[in-house]
Amino acid sequence: MIDFCMKLVTNASRAAKSLIMSEGDQELRALMMRYQGGSLEAFQEMYAQLAPGVRRYLSRLAGDSEIADDLLQETFLQMHRSRAAYNPKYAVRPWVFGLARNVFLMNRRAARRWAKVHELREDLPESPVLPEADRLGSQDEIRRCIAYLPSDQAEALLLHHEWGFSFEEIAGMLGISAAAARARASRGMAGLRVTLNSLQRARA
Amino acid sequence: MMDRSPKPPEALMRAIAEDLKPVRPSPQPLQLALRMVPLALLVSSVILLAIGPRHDSAILGPLLTWGASAAQFLLAIALIWIAAHESTPAGRLPRQVVYSAAIAVSLVVVFVTLLTFSTSPANESLLHVPPWINEKLRVSPWIMGFACGIGSTLAGGILVLFFSWVFRNSLVTRPTVAGALYGAGAGLAINAGWRIACPVSTPWHALGAHGAAIIATVILGALIGRFLGNRRLHTGGRNL
Repeated sequence: MIDFCMKLVTNASRAAKSLIMSEGDQELRALMMRYQGGSLEAFQEMYAQLAPGVRRYLSRLAGDSEIADDLLQETFLQMHRSRAAYNPKYAVRPWVFGLARNVFLMNRRAARRWAKVHELREDLPESPVLPEADRLGSQDEIRRCIAYLPSDQAEALLLHHEWGFSFEEIAGMLGISAAAARARASRGMAGLRVTLNSLQRARA
Repeated sequence: MMDRSPKPPEALMRAIAEDLKPVRPSPQPLQLALRMVPLALLVSSVILLAIGPRHDSAILGPLLTWGASAAQFLLAIALIWIAAHESTPAGRLPRQVVYSAAIAVSLVVVFVTLLTFSTSPANESLLHVPPWINEKLRVSPWIMGFACGIGSTLAGGILVLFFSWVFRNSLVTRPTVAGALYGAGAGLAINAGWRIACPVSTPWHALGAHGAAIIATVILGALIGRFLGNRRLHTGGRNL
């Protein structure tokens, strides 16, 4: 019982710490504070820095690049409406990626697009290719394999290896513990290796 | 298809430029949770002043009268803190923390109820009011149940509306869950004060009336959270 309580407290404090900013986020933080102060230029600069990554993430979630384009606009519009909810102590990138995820989930829920998203899996999303997996197969093969991973594993895998979020940050975005985020990413990578290896064996 | 260069599209820029007034950054979740303390204390004090402290507080002792309420109040702050985290993108706590808090609240309410009843099994409404009202309440105890249930729900509703206003701009993934947590925090905070005033300690009254009021504020919070979430979604792309 005590162990369980300690684990809960540790998870809660880890998630709380994930709100604290890393050094690399300093520039974005300064931009966000200028944006909160009413600077349009700061918004444009933030968009330039964040939009490509957020769009790739949304494309990965939605499985369709046109839906991702719509969701990207909505994410930044929602960011604008929620700009007062940002606290300068938070890291900006996980906050914006978290917003993007919320926008995706809310839209999916509202539009009942889930089935449609899965139908669209035939048309592979512009999924990023992991640097670690690059030597295991062609970009197309890796994309295909990532698309067939369970969505929670693929998401954790890409958030960590492609976008460089820490497991604490991923935990805060997904509402899970850091250990669960690590396990999902690790299982995803293992699954990817197995699939790519079997592909290579079949080709040989 | 949208322009893929990192320049924002015209429509988005227009929507942003239309409403670019400076905003004040939000406080952190704990500070937000602590903001509800003065309002909750104010509402509880009004109840205490109106009804007066329970007549058996000497039998219960300070620990079971004030200590149990303080514990419930702290738990309410913890719930609001969790709800504030739930409302922060990238700040969400693991599900097990959320569910454990909900279970802890239920257990604490039941435990305090049973402990209070076992220490002072008062089952008569003895309020600091004219004797005929006490007599009426003695004959029809359900009136007291309704009074406590509806009164606690209304008082908790004030806090729920306050939270809804504070968090109206946050984009929550699970607005119903976040709203239910705010509702639970509000209901528990009010119950912490109300139980010091309520003279009836029977489990059917404490759980049936006070417990029902907590559940009512949970439902109210969940409904408001869902409504705000849906409204936000439907107005999402209005300006584009």
